[in-house]
Amino acid sequence: MSLPTRAQHYPRGEVLAVLARWAVGGLLIYMGLVKALEPVGFLKLVRQYDLVQQPVLLNSIAALLPWFETFCGLLLLLGVAVRGTALLLLAMLLPFTALVLKRALVLHAASTLAFCAVKFDCGCGLGEVYICHKLAENGVLMLICLWLLAGWGRRWALRYGLWPGVPSSPDPSQPVAGA
Amino acid sequence: MAIRRGPREPRYQAMPSKFKTVLVEGAVVALGGALLAWACNALSPRGLALTRNYFPGATRPPKVASPGTNTAPVGAAGSPAGFPADSVAARLQARQLRVVDRAGMETLFRDPRRAQGLVVIVDARDDAQYQAGHIPGAHQLDHYRAPAYLPTVLPVCLNAEAVVVYCHGGDCEDAEFAATLLHEAGVPLERLAVYVGGFSEWATNNLPVERGAHRGSPAGGEVQ
Repeated sequence: MSLPTRAQHYPRGEVLAVLARWAVGGLLIYMGLVKALEPVGFLKLVRQYDLVQQPVLLNSIAALLPWFETFCGLLLLLGVAVRGTALLLLAMLLPFTALVLKRALVLHAASTLAFCAVKFDCGCGLGEVYICHKLAENGVLMLICLWLLAGWGRRWALRYGLWPGVPSSPDPSQPVAGA
Repeated sequence: MAIRRGPREPRYQAMPSKFKTVLVEGAVVALGGALLAWACNALSPRGLALTRNYFPGATRPPKVASPGTNTAPVGAAGSPAGFPADSVAARLQARQLRVVDRAGMETLFRDPRRAQGLVVIVDARDDAQYQAGHIPGAHQLDHYRAPAYLPTVLPVCLNAEAVVVYCHGGDCEDAEFAATLLHEAGVPLERLAVYVGGFSEWATNNLPVERGAHRGSPAGGEVQ
């Protein structure tokens, strides 16, 4: 008697993971292109974070990050190097969320507004956003990245893993843990 | 005596190698993405010059109020974006740039020397904002795209006795950067000034506004 596979056991979960991968990919492409097509605006916003002083570093962040984001979005949408891309996005989202939170706290301290009423353009590509919405959005994005990192969302992927031996569709021979 | 392995042991042994694979995959994606991003920026007509200082003479960005926040402190009268005019004036003073208020700007605008090119008004905003409306006769200098504008604007400014630069007003720093750029290109500091109220103050006081393409272009501009 053969054990049930992951896809057989959780087919809805796998489809949901693929949909989440497409949604994150699409969102990244949109947000990346918005910034890439208006790099001066993004440059001014990056400067507000007061991260670096050297022009070459500041310019590099503003010029390269939007295209990099678009590239990662494309990879997720097509299903190429999914886990590596998810790991990379997680590594970018964590410090970025911390920076947005830090800036929101500075703005909150200087105003009489409630924390969740603080609204500013964080340089995400979606214009002005309420900080609590932004933090929730980033939280969801990080959870999806963790989900993909755990091996979900490999169905309908062009090349799930860059190296040979990583199947693009659920491995029928792989038993579900705990099944 | 042979050691019997538990059934879970191979899976634990495989974990670090799986994680290593994902790490290497992430590194490859990062490298490929960085190279592609660099190429896209280099090929894009809107791409940034990586080595250029787009904020000449700037110290630190304003911490609290900036365009795109709802937390700007309530400003002094005449500060359309709600930013304290005093702090802007202090910042300009630190850069040794003269400040022009609305009354001074109106005087310069009506100065007969303007028709002779001895008083020059420079708009430091981008193309879309300039075309949507600007002070009549203002020359455009988007300092982020300096090579496109400087060859036209610089000779005009070098011949002028007074050059007033403005952007949209409030906490906008683009007028300061454009003025600094003009100074670095040879316009004496004593001839340069910044209109702090900017275009928003000018427009809200029902002063004449010109719309359309920049001065000198075949399309010209339409005064309203």
